[in-house]
Amino acid sequence: MQFHADDFNALPAAPVEQMEALAPAPPLWRVLLADVRAVVALVVVVLLVFSAFAGPFLWSQDPARQWLSQVSSGPTTARTVAVVEDNPQWQGALVQAGQLMSVSATTTSVKLAWPAVAGAAGYRVYRAEAGEGAGLGVPLAQIEHPWYDDRLQLRERAYRYTVVPEGENELSRRATITLTPALTIGRFEAQLLDLPVHNGEVVLPAHPLGTDSLGRDMLSRVIHGARTSMLVGLTAPLLFITLGAFYGAAAGLIGGWVDNTLMRIADFVVALPFLLFMILFRVAMGIESGESGLFPMVLAMVLLSWPGAARLVRGQVLQLRGSAFVLSARMAGASNLYLIRRHLLPNVLPLLLVSLSFAIPQAIFTEALLSFIGMGVVPPTPSWGSLCNEGIRSMLTHPHELIVPAVAISIAVLAFNVLGDALSDAMDVQIRRGAQ
Amino acid sequence: MLCLGLLCLGMAVTSAHAEAVSGQDQAITLSLATEPPSLDSMQATDQIGSFLLSHLMEGLVQYDAEGNLAPGIALRWQVREDGATFWLRKDARWSDGEPVTAHNFVFAWRRAVNPQTASQYAFILFPIKNAEAINRGELPLSDLGVRAVGDYRLEVQFERSCPYFDKLTAFMTYYPARQDIVERWGRAFAADADKMVFNGPFTLAKWVHGAHLRLEKNTRYWNREAIRLQVIDFPYITSDTTAQYNLYKDNRIALAALDAGTLNDAVKRGYEARLFDFGTLYFLEFNQRSERATHNLALRRAIQAVLEPSLLVYKVLGLPGIKPAYSLFPSGMRAYGITFSEQYPPPAIDYNIEKAREYLRQARRELGEIEPLTLLVGDSPRAVNEAEYYQYVLKQALGLETRLDQQTFKQRIAKMRRGEFDIAAAGWGPDFDDPITFGDLFASWNDNNRGRFENRRYDSWVAKAQSSADQETRLQAFDRLQHIISEQVVIIPTYENVGMYVQHPQLQGVRRSLFGGDPNFRYAWVEP
Repeated sequence: MQFHADDFNALPAAPVEQMEALAPAPPLWRVLLADVRAVVALVVVVLLVFSAFAGPFLWSQDPARQWLSQVSSGPTTARTVAVVEDNPQWQGALVQAGQLMSVSATTTSVKLAWPAVAGAAGYRVYRAEAGEGAGLGVPLAQIEHPWYDDRLQLRERAYRYTVVPEGENELSRRATITLTPALTIGRFEAQLLDLPVHNGEVVLPAHPLGTDSLGRDMLSRVIHGARTSMLVGLTAPLLFITLGAFYGAAAGLIGGWVDNTLMRIADFVVALPFLLFMILFRVAMGIESGESGLFPMVLAMVLLSWPGAARLVRGQVLQLRGSAFVLSARMAGASNLYLIRRHLLPNVLPLLLVSLSFAIPQAIFTEALLSFIGMGVVPPTPSWGSLCNEGIRSMLTHPHELIVPAVAISIAVLAFNVLGDALSDAMDVQIRRGAQ
Repeated sequence: MLCLGLLCLGMAVTSAHAEAVSGQDQAITLSLATEPPSLDSMQATDQIGSFLLSHLMEGLVQYDAEGNLAPGIALRWQVREDGATFWLRKDARWSDGEPVTAHNFVFAWRRAVNPQTASQYAFILFPIKNAEAINRGELPLSDLGVRAVGDYRLEVQFERSCPYFDKLTAFMTYYPARQDIVERWGRAFAADADKMVFNGPFTLAKWVHGAHLRLEKNTRYWNREAIRLQVIDFPYITSDTTAQYNLYKDNRIALAALDAGTLNDAVKRGYEARLFDFGTLYFLEFNQRSERATHNLALRRAIQAVLEPSLLVYKVLGLPGIKPAYSLFPSGMRAYGITFSEQYPPPAIDYNIEKAREYLRQARRELGEIEPLTLLVGDSPRAVNEAEYYQYVLKQALGLETRLDQQTFKQRIAKMRRGEFDIAAAGWGPDFDDPITFGDLFASWNDNNRGRFENRRYDSWVAKAQSSADQETRLQAFDRLQHIISEQVVIIPTYENVGMYVQHPQLQGVRRSLFGGDPNFRYAWVEP
């Protein structure tokens, strides 16, 4: 080997900045707070968890209560409406348009009558929303008598009714009338809802996110759904990561054949299919259709998802165990307990935090998926997945019933994922700077 | 085996791309809600089975293009007080070329009442002499009051007078069957396309279980000139009406039912939505087996007083045309030229929450604590919505807990038969053109009385309606029946399924009917 004369000269003095880099790494939270997306994600996560657990107290509507006169409605404010008889008599102000007449139309009932048409075999009654094009709209009935009582999901909007007498000259003998029913509630429904009646009127509460196809308040359902989703999404990962951490730490610390055996068992568990085991647990616990499947779901998650965390922790522990500072501490007579508390735990914890923040959205997603296919919560308990399932039934007509819970899932999963990303980046910074 | 599987898959994929209708080939493509549980005409009970069998088979009489009773395998017939005679046509053939003879009917009817066949529709043959005793295992099969005189004359003896017997013979349990085929396949009979023969206008050319059925015109059918469709293909099996509607929109199927979700889209697109009366009654049936809480009359009355059908129909189901039901007999049902519900209005029910709570208190006194009730329902989106409504009303008005047991059609029927429910959502379509088709449903001897309701008064009125030939007596009996159903709360009628559908404009001549399988494509054709 050839040496150069310069090799024996002293290096130039290092700049001050590099000297600072050798200072201890800043704490994790400070790195995290410097990152804008992490802060945003953190705020969203905190808000989500807060609204899931405190929300029901702030927005106290019962998520199972069905406001049947307002099914599938968009956002509404609180209203005072009249209570009317379920089968009102023919009385009130007469509305007439050509051949057709009606009396005080309400959303409980719109009564139509027309003079009998000579030679008509029967009448077909159609209803269209005014301004919805020239089509006749929805066929309401095919009847023989010259009157009709329409009660079909009436809303507070203008309707155009068309009566077509069957027989010759159908086109020219059509009669139409345009009506706007007033919002009311039927007596039986008001009784069912147990609403206090003042002067024949009741107060219908506001629905800021509208209602679903059974008239249930969407906001309250999403909040209660968050509860289910968060409960599963937080419990299961906490449990299986704790389990995995202890398992991995034991394997890494003890080492040798114990380590080998434990890790082969972990490999075996990785190969077990989640869905199959969840169904097996359901069957074993005697859970039938119609009973909540949340417990077997969490159980299957905990029993099958820990190997990831176990491997991570084992690897870290093995690396730390061989590192110089642990060896020297051991030579200095440190006990195992001291080593774990002082050296292993602080170095493993951030790692666990990162994997936790990735496991949570995954668990939320799994719960939503399983509730979506009907293996999770049972009606009337809402969860974001089951809300989506209900929303899909009316996706074409009332998309908000699907969009609201879907957006909730997306925001939650995204927030946890971004937080996890930011955490692992922050860890990187820590490790990089710590290692220099 | 694997190769075979791949081949089937390949075929299913290619045919899935067929157009909804083809004027050139006179072929149409449709979808089925579920796979038929059985195509054995002597055992089938469901709507899908009845629909397919009405195209594959033909009984003594049939319904013509206008829906009137017309000669089928029988050229002419005579119904008397004590029996009936049918003269069979000599040109009727099975799809394998064998002639259709009177012996085929004798065999089929004997098999249908054979207790070993365990047909749930055996009761429909009970007007025939000794049928009931044979079905109970008390008499040998040969004692059944039907015999073949030569190959082409069928003599029937009645147990009791049955003025509507000719209408009965159009029903699927009365279809003929071939002894050699049934005996060759044994339990596997009619489980696959190649394990059955047909005497109707179509043959089953393919049956890939759970995936694909295909009907082709039967070239040996006696009235083949009248049949214009060559192929009816069912490459899609889905009970999801949204999926069916999307298939219709994509021009994949020629006819699709509409529901609340798809109706608006259909109207917006300017499709001509059509309305038709199924004549089907939907109801909640109570399990009256003594170990069930619903055995208690006060509990049933409490539930009856809070389930107002019009709220369900107009607010929850929200499908135009569907009518709330208040009686065992659908409101549009006709008998002897009158509309039954107009002459004999349904029993009035007082929908009153206070009264319902009183009944419930009584029920609690008699039963003690009431366990959560199991509500057995279907798995279609509509059925689930409906079930959540019942669950809410029972909880809100009465504080009763319910557990929703959502099952597929097959599974639901099986569970109902085994009595594994407290309340079951069920439906019943008329089998033949007489009110007794609803009336005898809850007779103690009827197998389809899944709740095991037993009432001597009810049974005696059914017997009277079955045997009397007098119009006034029969109508009176039906009126008594609907009142007993309501007083004893055997069922809670919920709605009458008047459905909506869209149909390909080129497809013509489809008969929507209450009887003889619906929809009926026998006399349909595709406009070129």
